[in-house]
Amino acid sequence: MADRQDHWVFYFDPNRCIGCHACSISCKQFHGRDSDADDWRTVTHHQNANGQHPSASEYDPDTASPIENVPISMSCMHCHDAPCEEVCPTEAIEKRDSDGIVTIDQDKCIGCKYCGWACPFGAPTYGDNGLMSKCNMCLDQGPGSGAGAESKNEQDDPIQPNCVSDCVGGAIKAGPEKEMIKEASQAAADRFKSNNERVIVEPFQGNESNLNLVEHAASENAGD
Amino acid sequence: MSEHNSALTRRNLLKGAGVAAGAVALGGCLSGDQSNSQQGALSTAFGNCWMCSHNCGQKAYVRDGSVVNLTGVDGHPRGSAGEGTEGTLCPKGLAQLDKTHDPKRIKEPHIRENGTLKKVSWEKAFQYTAERLVSFDENNGAETFLDATSWAETDIFRTVWRDLYGSPERISRGIHVCAGPTFVTGGMMGVGSNNRVPDYQNSEYIIAWGRNILNSFAGQFEAKGVLEAIENNGATLVTIDPQHTITAQKSDEWMPIKPRTDGALALSMANVIIEEGLYDEAFVENHTHGFDAYREAAMDMPPEKAAEITGLDAEQIRTVARGFAEAAPQAGISVWTGTAQAGNGWKATQNITALNGLVGNIDKPGGLRLWKYPSTASFGEVCEQDYTNRAEFKDPALKKYDEYSDYPARHIEGIAHNLVPEMVENEHINGIVCHHDDPLKDGNAESWIEAIEAMDLVISIDAYWNGVSRRADIVLPEATQLEKDTLGTGNWNAYPNHKWVTGSKAAVEPRWNTKPDFDILKGIANEMVEKTDNDDWTVFQQWDSHEAYIDDQLSTLDLTLEDIDSGEKNYALVEEYDYQQYGENFTFRFDLDQIDSFATAAEEAGMDTAPEWIPPGTYGDSTSEEYPLEFTDIRSVFFSHGSNQPHERLQDQFAKRNQLSEEDYRGNYLYLNPEDADARDIETGDMVTIESETGSGELMAIVTERARPGLVTSQYGFGQTSAITTGEDTREQSADGMNTMMLHNEQMDPITGQVDRHIAVDVAPAGGD
Repeated sequence: MADRQDHWVFYFDPNRCIGCHACSISCKQFHGRDSDADDWRTVTHHQNANGQHPSASEYDPDTASPIENVPISMSCMHCHDAPCEEVCPTEAIEKRDSDGIVTIDQDKCIGCKYCGWACPFGAPTYGDNGLMSKCNMCLDQGPGSGAGAESKNEQDDPIQPNCVSDCVGGAIKAGPEKEMIKEASQAAADRFKSNNERVIVEPFQGNESNLNLVEHAASENAGD
Repeated sequence: MSEHNSALTRRNLLKGAGVAAGAVALGGCLSGDQSNSQQGALSTAFGNCWMCSHNCGQKAYVRDGSVVNLTGVDGHPRGSAGEGTEGTLCPKGLAQLDKTHDPKRIKEPHIRENGTLKKVSWEKAFQYTAERLVSFDENNGAETFLDATSWAETDIFRTVWRDLYGSPERISRGIHVCAGPTFVTGGMMGVGSNNRVPDYQNSEYIIAWGRNILNSFAGQFEAKGVLEAIENNGATLVTIDPQHTITAQKSDEWMPIKPRTDGALALSMANVIIEEGLYDEAFVENHTHGFDAYREAAMDMPPEKAAEITGLDAEQIRTVARGFAEAAPQAGISVWTGTAQAGNGWKATQNITALNGLVGNIDKPGGLRLWKYPSTASFGEVCEQDYTNRAEFKDPALKKYDEYSDYPARHIEGIAHNLVPEMVENEHINGIVCHHDDPLKDGNAESWIEAIEAMDLVISIDAYWNGVSRRADIVLPEATQLEKDTLGTGNWNAYPNHKWVTGSKAAVEPRWNTKPDFDILKGIANEMVEKTDNDDWTVFQQWDSHEAYIDDQLSTLDLTLEDIDSGEKNYALVEEYDYQQYGENFTFRFDLDQIDSFATAAEEAGMDTAPEWIPPGTYGDSTSEEYPLEFTDIRSVFFSHGSNQPHERLQDQFAKRNQLSEEDYRGNYLYLNPEDADARDIETGDMVTIESETGSGELMAIVTERARPGLVTSQYGFGQTSAITTGEDTREQSADGMNTMMLHNEQMDPITGQVDRHIAVDVAPAGGD
């Protein structure tokens, strides 16, 4: 079994995300998915409902970012304790020992959607055929692909997930945990350790209420 | 050239088309949600993204003759942050994959017979084009044929329409409908149009003035450069914008300025900088002209006065003025369309650009860089054949006829977008060749539509059925960027010490019965040899292919297209150059009294030659009881002008970006403040009618605090005349959203004729959701 440090994880820096959705489009194009299918990588926009467009006299750039609209890009986090794998009755979902990527074998999938209920982040999606598909860190192209593919850690020059390759702001990264943690600030690394090591998210350098939004998006209660 | 509405809805059409596009995109490897074993071998090729014409490098993955994936090119001068950084593609650039295989594209040449567009062979299309050009010249004069082909990826368009056909009428995207005041003031003041893009990478203080650089960029290196400057240099970012944007959000200072008051803010910043002795005295003394007149105007605009005009806080004005001046010369301003697309845009831009001269950041690291183009060969240098320039001694109508003597712009420019309908009415313009441009989205839209319909000859070279191609007499379907050889270059980029070129060979064959623009023009020229007996039209026969012509262009750099488009990248850094190469005699002009053409135009417009404050409404609209709101249009990262709107992925993600993807609507949105919305009983998701004195339209409202009270905005490029629907029959009325320029009449900057996109309007619920 590969060391957990070799398992691939995503890294996201909201301070560099420009909310352009290139990641969502890039993901769908790589996997040949229709535009109106559910996104495997989503960009959501989070705002502080209390803000108002400031009049000049009220605006204080040091303390007030009252109408911020924070973009957050997320996908399947390939959890170490993947709940989707645990509930899958046909063992179609596999948390791979070799590189930590969670794959779905559609030949075994019966479309029961237990995984969709179990995942706190809404990562599994279901196509017209009723079968589950989701991010496979671009092990291969297309829904359901990647099951049985060679480990990213065994590949000579493993390709980056397409969302990483096309992230205009350089906000998304992916790689073995031991490498990604080097990219992270101490605060991001600490939170990663205390949050089941799912995804590394840099602290947002905005006002406090928006920091909470980002924290929330990376927590188990993200769907609430 | 008439239109009719259809009962079919656009969404029905798109649903069908989208499924087909998705299957084609993967070359048949995948069907629906099923993955089959991969078919042919995967190969890679390159592209120079032309979605917004700024040439970010594309790496294309090709299987079985289809593009199956696109990413960026690492280290690319326009598509990355420079050496050792990742190249990427923005949403528009990614959409080139769908565009390549989009079944909604024009697939065959068409000519109009008995009022209807009919498919014909290329041979027939070229013959007919030549016949019509010859008869047009006989009946109207070639000089009344308007060349609207500035969106081209090859420079031989100009040779064909100006030099060989003989028309002096040319309209461009840059000066005439994008940012005339920015381009032209910069040129007259001595810095060219480099006032747009500072040296981000080395900057410690960046002002995004009326720009949303992180979403509406001219090459991704702009957004990346700003983020790098913040991260690596700890740069301060200031955004001056009435709306709150992603760039405002990432800024240290956001200045929510009242629209069209930027000129007062710029003078006020100069006031602070001069009063507090923070300007570069040596530069001002040795390298500038007109400082006294500038100082006088600045002294008349203390921060408290500017605060009243701009709605900003006087202390914030002082803070930013000091911050900018103290960081100089490592301080830069980026200014482009936001301050230029207004009636008083000339003075706004002159006053803003003047700040660079004041702090002496000209061509210094982190400041206003005097970017340079590489020395590729011009057409004249590589053409081995002599020919007569048939437009050489012809004046454009704007300069020639008394009908236009009331327009000061005739001293500066050869044409003004808004005046074309009047020129058609006067029979000074009788035909047009339009290439990938959509003038019907650029201003005075209703009159332009009538003008196109009244013209004797309309030639459209395009990939989509849009307002122009649907009304054309001749439609020549063009292959898109990844289907042809291209050479790209420019000035500003991620390598401040290098000139650069980017090249790409066709990644795939032209789809359907389309041709690259070079081949289309050569085809027309060859037929013109037959029809005119004039051998000048044989000038293109010396090149067997566009690649051969590109190789000649590159010969001065000792490069070939093959050299550039090989290995892991598709660009070359050439000709290193240092900062401050402008020499002792360089002069930065605050006052433009030495420029005779401008002095004459300014006098006619009632303007001074030096920086001064001109209030909104002096030229252009003022709000009124009937039209109490100010409208202006904006851009988003998903769309460039009018050509990206057909792409369903962009439409859908744009709707998600606006958190309205659950609605069936896929048009542009009208953003308005809750204060204005409440007064009109409007909520997010409501369809609303917007009306000006000129026209009206319907679109979906978004109520947001990010919008400034009294100002409503929307993305342009949608609605009527859009390239959204399919086929030769016209369903453009069913396109979602509105053509914002249906609200527009002839408002313009009097000096350059640049379209003024600030319009007095009112908004009301349209009924229904």
